[in-house]
Formats: sequence, structure tokens, C-alpha cells
Amino acid sequence: MKLDGYTPRPVADLLDQAEEARRALGEGFRDRVVESIYKDATEIAGRSVEYGERRRVDLDLLVDKVVLSPIFGLPLMIALLGLIFWATIIGANYPSQMLATGLFWVEAQGTLLFDYLGAPWWLTGFIWHGIYRGLAWVIAVMLPPMMIFFPCFTILEDLGYLPRVAFNLDWLFKKSGGHGKQALTMSMGFGCNAAGVIACRVIDSPRERLIAILTNNFVPCNGRYPTLILIAVLFVAAGFSPTAASAVAAGTVLTIVVLGVITTLIVSAALSRTVLKGEASAFTLELPSYRRPSIARIIYTSLIDRTIFVLMRAVMTAIPAGAVIWLLGNITAGGTPLATHVSDFLEPFAYQFGLDGVIILAYIIAIPANEIVVPTILMIYLGEGMMTEDISQDSLRQVLVEQHGWTMLTAVNLMLFSLLHNPCATTIITMWKETRSLRWTTLGAVGPLVIAFGVCFVVAQAARLLGWG
Amino acid sequence: MATLINQNQDGPKLPRWRRVINWLGRWPGQRDRRAVEDLLKHVHACQERGQGASAESAAGAIGWSARRAVKVIASVEALGLIRSTSKGLELTDGGTQLAVSVIRAHRLWERYLADEAGMPLTQVHAEANRREHDREGGRVDRLDAALGYPQSDPHGDPIPRADGRLAEFAGTPLMSWSSGRPARITHIEDEPASVFDQIVATGLMPGQVITVEGSTPEGLRVAFNGRKSVLAPVIAANVFVQAVPQDAAPAPARSLSSLEQGGEAVIRGFDQGLRGFHRRRLLDLGLTPGTPIRAERVSMFRDPRAYRVRGSLVALRREQADRVHIEEGSPSPSAQTGATS
Repeated sequence: MKLDGYTPRPVADLLDQAEEARRALGEGFRDRVVESIYKDATEIAGRSVEYGERRRVDLDLLVDKVVLSPIFGLPLMIALLGLIFWATIIGANYPSQMLATGLFWVEAQGTLLFDYLGAPWWLTGFIWHGIYRGLAWVIAVMLPPMMIFFPCFTILEDLGYLPRVAFNLDWLFKKSGGHGKQALTMSMGFGCNAAGVIACRVIDSPRERLIAILTNNFVPCNGRYPTLILIAVLFVAAGFSPTAASAVAAGTVLTIVVLGVITTLIVSAALSRTVLKGEASAFTLELPSYRRPSIARIIYTSLIDRTIFVLMRAVMTAIPAGAVIWLLGNITAGGTPLATHVSDFLEPFAYQFGLDGVIILAYIIAIPANEIVVPTILMIYLGEGMMTEDISQDSLRQVLVEQHGWTMLTAVNLMLFSLLHNPCATTIITMWKETRSLRWTTLGAVGPLVIAFGVCFVVAQAARLLGWG
Repeated sequence: MATLINQNQDGPKLPRWRRVINWLGRWPGQRDRRAVEDLLKHVHACQERGQGASAESAAGAIGWSARRAVKVIASVEALGLIRSTSKGLELTDGGTQLAVSVIRAHRLWERYLADEAGMPLTQVHAEANRREHDREGGRVDRLDAALGYPQSDPHGDPIPRADGRLAEFAGTPLMSWSSGRPARITHIEDEPASVFDQIVATGLMPGQVITVEGSTPEGLRVAFNGRKSVLAPVIAANVFVQAVPQDAAPAPARSLSSLEQGGEAVIRGFDQGLRGFHRRRLLDLGLTPGTPIRAERVSMFRDPRAYRVRGSLVALRREQADRVHIEEGSPSPSAQTGATS
């Protein structure tokens, strides 16, 4: 091909020329590009931006002096986190009850409607006492805490406080091969592990991000608090006077949380020395100026982005769980429900871990959503065909201890298991969506389960050796 | 490559039962191919150094038994990739082509692992050895493009181009460099690994400027990075250098991590070892040469520290701050010298 006055050069020539140019530029040219961009930007800013009296910066410095102080930094952080927990647990209690009452009223009406229409008992039971009740339970337990926790968390985020937490704690995570921002994803996990896993996007190096994703499960989420709190109240705090009891229960839950954080660090260290080998990589973190939180943003991020999103996924997984629970409770063989058969079968296995068959069964059923562990346990124990929690604390303790032989060991191991066991289905799905890797998702799901069984086994065997439990 | 090996095995027609036995006793294809490529790489390295390769040298370098080395050499010779000469093994044209493509993959992977994945320099060689054999479907060319067509691997070895051209290895052994003349490190030999680990531990890196100050029975007295140290002969023998213009040799630099609390300085540049992702990240945050910086806060565990740059507060770990070079003085927006020291 030949055009007038134009001779196309062979492609090889062009490539050679490009190669020459690259060599002449050297490897530092990217640096120079960024430098010149910054230089231009500085010039433009110098010409057109005027700085007024910068009193705000002074305030920033003052706040940073406290927040980042070696003395006050850590206590302040723990106090703030404690305050959010307290607000979440206390604040969610009443709305949760109201929501439960309301949703169960709907169930009653639905049942009446079905009866009126002459539906067979099993259809009514399956739809209303199984699927609907599972759904209602998850919503009632999960929604109020999330609606308190997430906005609180978003306020701290918007204020600019969270990067400071990462700054304060980074050293710990560096030692375990992780990233300081893991402190943030961990805190997010207190609200919901699935949300915590998504939050790991803020960590920009892939290795540290994977570590954060795989260990997020070791902080108990809102769905697991009810179990922890209930057991702490029933067993650990039972011997104390009513005034001391709530403090003891809160202390117990806090201990479990601290255990979870320690586990996170240990597992992170183990991962970064084995399957995710590598050096703690670049850590750069911007500590933005403190800002006045924007209300609209807080409502949007915390309610739409986080609460609704997490709730929708949880609802999708709660439906099949509710169905399975109802079926196990209502299909009988030889006069006893299937649930009892399965839990009896699991009993000898569970005993080795200081648990019992019912607990294991409840955890298997509750893989989709951890909120329903306690209701499921009670359903099986009380021999009712549906989940229940409508029972006073004294009689509950009686049922567990006297009729089903729960000991302090059972209680401790149940709490440990609840802390360490595999993430819920929502979190597992989220892990997959975030990593797109079957391998990492499997590790993230099975790893904690192995750890949970291992820890429970050691504790149970040691306790029995010492003649306790 | 796999097809080449199969052709070789199909050579003489064997009875069916023999073929089954052979097939069962055969190394899995992957291992076969790795062995061939490892051998070609070894022969290529020997040729570059002007040494003759032999079954013994291959066994020693790759870690095979003498028997296995002889076996592999025989099969690779049968493939027509190497030939035996009086000076030892030699690559044929086909062998050179294949060897260079393996080396290209190896060095690009090393570059990637060191710069983007943040793997310690002492580990990249072994990992690249694992990854270099998978070169299906233009993967290596894509890696090359993604890395911005780097010229050399983290040890300073030139990376072969896609068309197989390989830049001449440039450098004089540090041992034979004259005292007093500053030199830039062009290459650090990455094998044997134990010596390389030691070199990395002393803080030497390709691209650094080093000055030999004299030699003693214990080794070479050298100055680099504002430090003085003595290099054992076994280390110095694995370091290769090139002349730098006298005026380009920078004065000793201080690292940002040595800046005391509340102290102010001006950024001069980055360490050569800070590359890829990590370098881009710091540049993006505005830590460009000539920028004033102040050490403002320290975390409760003494690490990381927060620095004030361009009005914002940026936290860096000690490892990052170590690699940022600073100097006293006023900001100089004209200090666009690029990478220094």
C-alpha cells in the first residue's frame, strides 16, 4: 500500500522506536510525571487559594493530642467502643421486643386466617410457624441493633475518628502481618461480619485485605450477642446480687470480645506466616481533618448501604432455616421429632467438646443466621414444634441445668463456640463475592470451625481432667 | 514444549506393554517441562559468564542427582535444544530462544513480586522459579505491559524483550573496582541464596551508589547510603557495578524515620528499593521531592508516625519512612531530580 508522499513504516520499526524512547526515558519518568503534576497543582493553588485564619487546625491539633495520645488514646477508644456496645444492647432491647410482639401478632393472625380458610395444619405450621417465624425472629433480633450500631459507627467514621484508631493500633496488626485498617474492619464486624468483610475494601494491599476478610469472623456480631448475653446472664452472673449481675454479665461479654480480638491477631499472624506469606507491606494512612458529620450521609450509609443490605441477605438465608427447623421439630419418627433423633445422634460427639447434641444441631441449622441459635435450642429442649424464647430466666435456667445437665463448662464452651465457629451463610457468600475465590472462601468458612472445635475440645478435656464440669 | 517431549518419547515403536510401563513410570509432564527449562536456564547462565556447563554444574546448580542431570541432558539434547561441545554444553538457536523466554518470565515475575506484591527480595527468586514455567496465552507479555516494560529485574539483571533481544550484561565486579571512584550497583547475583540473603541484610541494592574506600584482609571497606561497612570477599564478589559521573554521586542522605518529633525537613527522594505500588502510593500522597515535611505525632506503640505533608496528616510505618530521604533546608520546588541515591 502506498499513498502519495506517505510511506508507511513497518510496525517493527515503530516498536523499536517505542523501545528506544522507553530506554531514554528511564524508569524514573513516572516519578517525574507525578512531580510535575504536583508542581503545577501547587502553583495553581498558590495563585488562587487564600488561607484565612486557621483556627480549625488548632482545634484539630488539640483533639489529636488527646485522641492520639499514648496515654489517653487506648482508654478513649475502648470507652467509645464500650459506649456503642452498651447503647446498642440497651437501646435495641425494647424495640426488639416490640418488633417481636408485632411480628408474632401477625403470625397469630396469619394462623387464624389459614385455619379459617381450612388449610391443613402442616401447611399453616410450615408457612407461619416455620418460614415466617424464622424470618420474624431474624428481623426482630437483628434490625434494632443494626439501626443503632451502624449510625453510631458511621458518625465516628464521618468525624474522622476511625483512621485514628487504625493509627493507634497499627503496630499490633503490623506484628501479626496485617494492616492497621484491620482495626476498622474488625469494629465493623461487631455490627455484622458480612458488613465487616465488605469493609475490608478499604485495605488496599491484597494480602492484608485477605487476612482481614478471613479473620473478621472472630469478632462477635450483633447476631451472636444475644447468645453470649443470655448465657452470661444465666450462668456466669447467676450467683451475684442483681446489681452486680449486670456488670458481671457485661464483663463476661467484654472478655469474650477481647478473646475474639486476641484470636484475630493470632490467626492473622498464623496466616501471614503460612498460606499468606509475605512481609507487612506498605502502610500509608491519611488522618483527615475532623469534620462535622453530615446527617444525610450518615442516614444513607448506615441505613441504606449497611442495615438494609445486610438485612436483605439475612432474610434470604433465614427463610430456608426457618423451614428446616419446623420440619425437624414436626416430622416425627417413633413418636419423637426428628430434631431429637439428630441431637441424640450427635450427643456422644458433642460431649467430647463440652457441648451437647442440641447445641451442635442448633448451630448446624443456624448456619444461615446466628440469631436463631438460642430459639432453636429452646425449641428442641421444650419439645415444641416451633422456635420459642417466651420463657422466664429462672425457669430457663432450670430447664437447661436440671433437665438437660448444662454445667458451667457447657456455658463456657457454648460461648467460645459461638465466638469462634464458622461465619454465617451471609458472611460466607460475602466472602465469596469479595474474593471470587473458592479456596479462600472455603478457608474462611472451615478454618474458624476447626479452631472452634479445637478450642472447645481442649477446654473440655482439660476441665474434665481437673474434675470440673 | 510438552508436544516436543512426547515426540521424543514416541521415537522407536515399543511393544504396547513397554509403553504402558514407560507411561506409568514417567515424570508427570509438568515436571518434565520444568526440568528441561531449568537446564536451559542453567546453560544460558553459564554461557553468559563464559563458563562451560556440564552435567555436574547442572546437578549442583539445580539440585539434581548426577544421574538425573545426565538423563535430562540426554533428553534435551535429543530435543535439539542443546549440544555437547568440547567446551561443555551449548545452547542451539532453538534452545537459546526457549531459555530467553523462560528468563524473561522469571525476571518479570521477580519484578512483579518485589514491586507490586511487596515480597521480600530474598524470597522473590524462589517464587519466580515456580511461576516462570507457566507462559501460556501471552500471560508474560501482559505482565510486561502491566509493569510498564521494566528494564531490569530486582537484582539488576536486564529483562529480555518480547522478541528475545537481551541487553548486554553491564557491570564490573566490585572486587576489581578502583578505590575512591563512586560506582552504581548494577547487579547483585541472586544465587547462591545464602550469600544473597547476606547481601540484602547489609542493605545493598541495585541502583545504589557505592564507593570503595580501600581493601583489608577481611574484605572491602565501602561507603553507601551514608554508612560505612566492610564487605566480605564472598559478598563483594557477587556485586557488580558501573561508573557514575562524579557529580551525580549524592551526598549521604538522612531517612525520614530519623527525623525527631516535631522536626522539619524537605523530602529529597526515595530509596531505590522503594518501587512499584509502594512508591506510587507515597507519590500520590504528595511526598514528592522538594516538599517540606514535619514529624507531627507518634502512635502509642512508637510506630507508625504521622507526618504533616502539604497540609494533611499522613501516617507511615517505620519501614516506609526509612525509605524516604530527607535533607535540611527550605523547600525548593525546583528540586525535580527524580530518584536519588
